[in-house]
Amino acid sequence: MRNLLNFLTRYNNLIIFLILEGIAVYLLATGNNYHNTRVVNGIRGLTRGIEERINNTRNYLNLREVNKTLAEENSTLKNRISDMAKKENSLFFSVSDSIYNQQYNYTSAEVIENSVNRQKNFFTLNKGERQGVKEDMAVTFGNSVAGVIVGCSENYSVAMSLINLDFKLSARIKSNGYFGSLNWDGSDIRHAILSEIPQHVTVNAGDTIETTGYSAIFPEGVMIGTVSDFEKIGGDFYKITVSLITDFKKLHFVEIIGNMKKTEQLEIEKLFQ
Amino acid sequence: MINSIFRFGLIFILLILLQVLLFNNIQFSGYVNPYVYVMFILLLPVEIPSWLLLLLSFAAGLVMDFFSGTPGMHSSATLLAGFVRPYILRIISPRDGYEPGSAPSMLIYGFRWFLLYTLLIVFVHHTALFYLEVFRFADFFSTLMRVLFSSLFSITFILFIEYYRRGK
Repeated sequence: MRNLLNFLTRYNNLIIFLILEGIAVYLLATGNNYHNTRVVNGIRGLTRGIEERINNTRNYLNLREVNKTLAEENSTLKNRISDMAKKENSLFFSVSDSIYNQQYNYTSAEVIENSVNRQKNFFTLNKGERQGVKEDMAVTFGNSVAGVIVGCSENYSVAMSLINLDFKLSARIKSNGYFGSLNWDGSDIRHAILSEIPQHVTVNAGDTIETTGYSAIFPEGVMIGTVSDFEKIGGDFYKITVSLITDFKKLHFVEIIGNMKKTEQLEIEKLFQ
Repeated sequence: MINSIFRFGLIFILLILLQVLLFNNIQFSGYVNPYVYVMFILLLPVEIPSWLLLLLSFAAGLVMDFFSGTPGMHSSATLLAGFVRPYILRIISPRDGYEPGSAPSMLIYGFRWFLLYTLLIVFVHHTALFYLEVFRFADFFSTLMRVLFSSLFSITFILFIEYYRRGK
């Protein structure tokens, strides 16, 4: 007994250290998994008030920029309307049934918390399950890829940013249609790496990279970025550096895109796997 | 006693605010994210009981985790820094020992001593933090680069703040 007490008094610091470190590692192992949003949302609840206040100030300072992007978006939408109106008026028009054929639905949301300086970056949106947001929905920022929803609470949702080491996306070169997989290498928030493009394909700097729509998360043809650099690495593939269109430091008003036919697609794919 | 609790509480709040509002927003070529709040652990008195030091460093990390939404990451790194601090202090102790009741400051022990002290603790903290963040050894050297660059900036900022404190 005395030996035990001696031991405890001599190594009490080490014991405290190990206990606390154990707690920390437990939190790290369970809480950092953003699919398990309960812990995160509980913790975020404590600081959300402060974050929202900081965010409000930031929003006010960014108003000019926001107005500009909204104006641009308005003009593209107006163009689209006039295009559609033309089609409706012509005598022979292809049926573009907008109700029964609709595959994606869109809703806008505001980014209330965002990180760019970590290796695993996430951002929080101010819409959750009550507003119809679900896991695995796509998030875009001005028609370019921003992230994927990984967890929802009632009124908030957390999205994994494209600039996250765990993020993977099926992407293709717009001009020739060859597709590969895009992920972030953790160094620069303005660039990502497109791999698995075979070396017989011609790649040019400046080529547009867009989504393929294979994953049933992002619709086809959402912009990702342009080729800024490419090199042949061992094996038969290119390592293409893509300069991203989305400026992740300025994420603010984003769109959440839900695929209404996702379950259908996944079910039929499951049958053959 | 009460006075020093108040003082360190104030330092703590100021450093956390500085970190959350200013340094967390620094993004410089992907390699530099200074974490200046570690300075709180640096400034605690030399003779603080080790258990209290451990608890305080854990608390500091936990508060940072609340703000950055990374449960456990900062707390395990700051805890490690708090754990090694007594050993580092013993290794680099000045010839005449530490003055009773003093804080490890640049004013008392000189610039070179403080630089070495800051360097060692910040390096331990940043190494733990960045490797825990990536949680794999695949990109060992690029993570090491991030540790080194970020440490450089953190140390510079900490020395700057300490110098300003000395000026007062």
